[in-house]
Amino acid sequence: MSEQTTRRSVLKTLAGIAGGILAMPAAQTCKAAVQNKLANSPAPPGYDPFKHSWLIALDVDRCIGCGRCVEACIEENNVPESHFRTWIERYVITKPKAGSSEIRGETIVDSPDGGRNGFPEELVPKEDILKSFFVPKLCNLCQSSPCSQVCPVGATFQSPDGVVLVDKSYCIGCGFCVQACPYGCRFINPGTHTADKCSLCYHRITRGLKPACVELCPSQARIFGDLKNPVPDDPLQRFFNNNKVEGLKRNLGTEPRVAYSGLDEEVR
Amino acid sequence: MPRFLKMPPQIVRLVLLTIAIVCLFFTARYFLTPPSFGQYGHYRANALQDIAAQRPFWAGKASCVECHTDHAQKLAKGDHKGLSCEACHGPGRQHVENPAEKLPKLNVSLCLRCHEFSPSRPKWMHQINVHNHYPGNVCTECHVPHQPSEVP
Amino acid sequence: MMNASLVTNVMEALPQIQGYVYPNEQTLHPLWSVLIVVYPYITGLVAGAFIMASLVRVFQVKALDPTYRLALLTALAFLLCAPLPLLFHLGHPERCFEIMLTPHFSSPMAMFGFVYAWYLMAVLLLELWFDYRRDFVQWSLTEPGYRGIIYRAFTLGVTDLSEPALRLDARMGRVISIVGIPSAFLLHGYVGFIFGSIKANPWWGNVLMPIIFILSAIVSGMALCVFVYMVLCWARRIAADIRCLDLMTTFLFYALVLDVSIEGLDWMHRLYSAEEGIDVLRSLASSKLFYTLLIGQACLGTMIPFLLLGATQLFRRRIKELNRRRAYFSSAVLILMGVLAMRWNVVIGGQLFSKSMRGFMSYKMEFAGSEGWLLSIALLVLPFAILIVLVRLFLAPELPTIENVVPGAKSRAKAQEAGH
Repeated sequence: MSEQTTRRSVLKTLAGIAGGILAMPAAQTCKAAVQNKLANSPAPPGYDPFKHSWLIALDVDRCIGCGRCVEACIEENNVPESHFRTWIERYVITKPKAGSSEIRGETIVDSPDGGRNGFPEELVPKEDILKSFFVPKLCNLCQSSPCSQVCPVGATFQSPDGVVLVDKSYCIGCGFCVQACPYGCRFINPGTHTADKCSLCYHRITRGLKPACVELCPSQARIFGDLKNPVPDDPLQRFFNNNKVEGLKRNLGTEPRVAYSGLDEEVR
Repeated sequence: MPRFLKMPPQIVRLVLLTIAIVCLFFTARYFLTPPSFGQYGHYRANALQDIAAQRPFWAGKASCVECHTDHAQKLAKGDHKGLSCEACHGPGRQHVENPAEKLPKLNVSLCLRCHEFSPSRPKWMHQINVHNHYPGNVCTECHVPHQPSEVP
Repeated sequence: MMNASLVTNVMEALPQIQGYVYPNEQTLHPLWSVLIVVYPYITGLVAGAFIMASLVRVFQVKALDPTYRLALLTALAFLLCAPLPLLFHLGHPERCFEIMLTPHFSSPMAMFGFVYAWYLMAVLLLELWFDYRRDFVQWSLTEPGYRGIIYRAFTLGVTDLSEPALRLDARMGRVISIVGIPSAFLLHGYVGFIFGSIKANPWWGNVLMPIIFILSAIVSGMALCVFVYMVLCWARRIAADIRCLDLMTTFLFYALVLDVSIEGLDWMHRLYSAEEGIDVLRSLASSKLFYTLLIGQACLGTMIPFLLLGATQLFRRRIKELNRRRAYFSSAVLILMGVLAMRWNVVIGGQLFSKSMRGFMSYKMEFAGSEGWLLSIALLVLPFAILIVLVRLFLAPELPTIENVVPGAKSRAKAQEAGH
């Protein structure tokens, strides 16, 4: 009895495999039909991501804290309330107590509504301030980005042209990438329930425009360029030639490509 | 009857069940994996196009300069040369697409957004204290925004 | 231009923060909230209950026989509920299958689909099947109605009850138990690795995190087995076998000792090496997490059971049996609550401070809603409800077992029944 069962079951298995091989062409047509329903994108106009390498740099000494960049980004990308793809932080370092051997007093950091309406309120009287400055923050375009490393499905990734993007039609909204980003630049969009972050205005830069924040910055604190196609007197090349630069939280090994000039050790 | 096929019935049933489940899994995977996945890396390559398909909001200075070359030339001579037109004049897309639609008039409180004194602002920035600097007057009475170096 | 009253309203609705936090961290609820506390708790209980069951099979600890099947059924009940908190948490649960279609192998979370499927099907269900197979065959013949149909379905059509078949069942059960131990470690350890791999967060990103998770899982699972066994015996009005309880709690005690040592090591190392952010973490542990960490996890959930169980280990002969039972039951309950507190402290604690190391957030837990109390309590109660069904189907005392139809066993069975 058991012998017959074994032989029959083996023959059944072989028949199944043969049938599967014969059904392949039909399966492929069927697959195309199913996937048409899943795919949803229009064809692009001749932009080749491999021919570009975008980068943004930030000059802290030129930021005046007007917040136009934050507003520009919110308008451009429909960023939801209380979430920010880019924001400005104000650092106020007070003078040390008279007679002490400290080099500074306390450091107060704030970012009222991301800085989108500027910084109308003065937290510390002018006389007590040792130094104060504004630091714009955004996605650091990490070479070894921890966010794309931890995405379980492949919904966030570094594109061939150097931008870390989120595929919001594929993201499952688990939030791992938001936890993994050391810079706090990611969030879960309450409208789409997916991860969201600065996309370096990918839809603008692929059309030859500048990111919204760079476009609207009145003081050239944000410098943008294409490392593979520098323009004559490229501002990005000039920035790197003339400044000593630094990336944020380098000790974590994320290899942030966004370069800051003029940072203070108090900046996190 | 080959000897290796003489497996106890429990094992046979379990092996068949396992093969069935695994085949089901690979079939589902074949049909449901989205197209273009894995082309450039572990992501949907079509996502690049999806993201790039978003409609830009700000027109960009280059669009303004196409028509308003005289203003652009004047601007390029002064301290405001680095500013984009939309930074002060607001979003210009409507006007670029339909030049008959004019942009709204500007409120001079816009000037204070950048020029009001703050101890956090860098020293190179021209700043004024609103209470001390000709209080009660409007900025444009003396200053020309497109050519800020010229003071009548 | 911002409307003044709108600003006031928005400010009132904003979450409470101290110091400076990144703007994106100012959310009303933590991103990984109580559902993500419940999930590792559940998988930890599964792993621990399975380890307890493996002690019977792999290490031939005969005295634990009465609890073997109960431990496996407990593990199954909890494992079936494990994906639920995750599905409720996802922004797009309908896309959850993507984790099996295009798993990103650099992400520990991508392992979930495969490890869960492997553990459920190739370890737990398979081990249960091999252990229950001969009973399924028996019961499918004797039990009436829908139960008979269920048992017949579970036989998978295999009705061979010969000696070689039964020996194979026993051998396969042992093999699967051996394979199952590292699988159980993987099922729960990967969760610890998820937290341990996040270098951006100093509360989480730590080499010991997966090990601490596994050890506290084993402790919680063993405590769960003690708890469920004592409750089931109480429900059936029979005395729980004291030798079995003594032995279970011996294992529980030593697991607790190991767990306390490694967690203590983690603390000592952090405080000693005092890396960046230690001030924030110290402040977190002593103020924001005072009740859940120092009181709940350390004192009630660890120290008191440690003392109780230690006393019963050292002074077993001198402590009356009734007092020992009381000590075991209360230790089990305290440990279960303490390990839940530990998961809370890790998951929620890691989200109470800003990655800028300059500030803290506060959250209010909602009652109803997808990240609220009600759902979490329901998800913790559901496995017990499933366990009751499983016990009714597979551990009912009235069901005849193969022992009852073997000559000589009937009289032993009758003697057991007379004893109840």
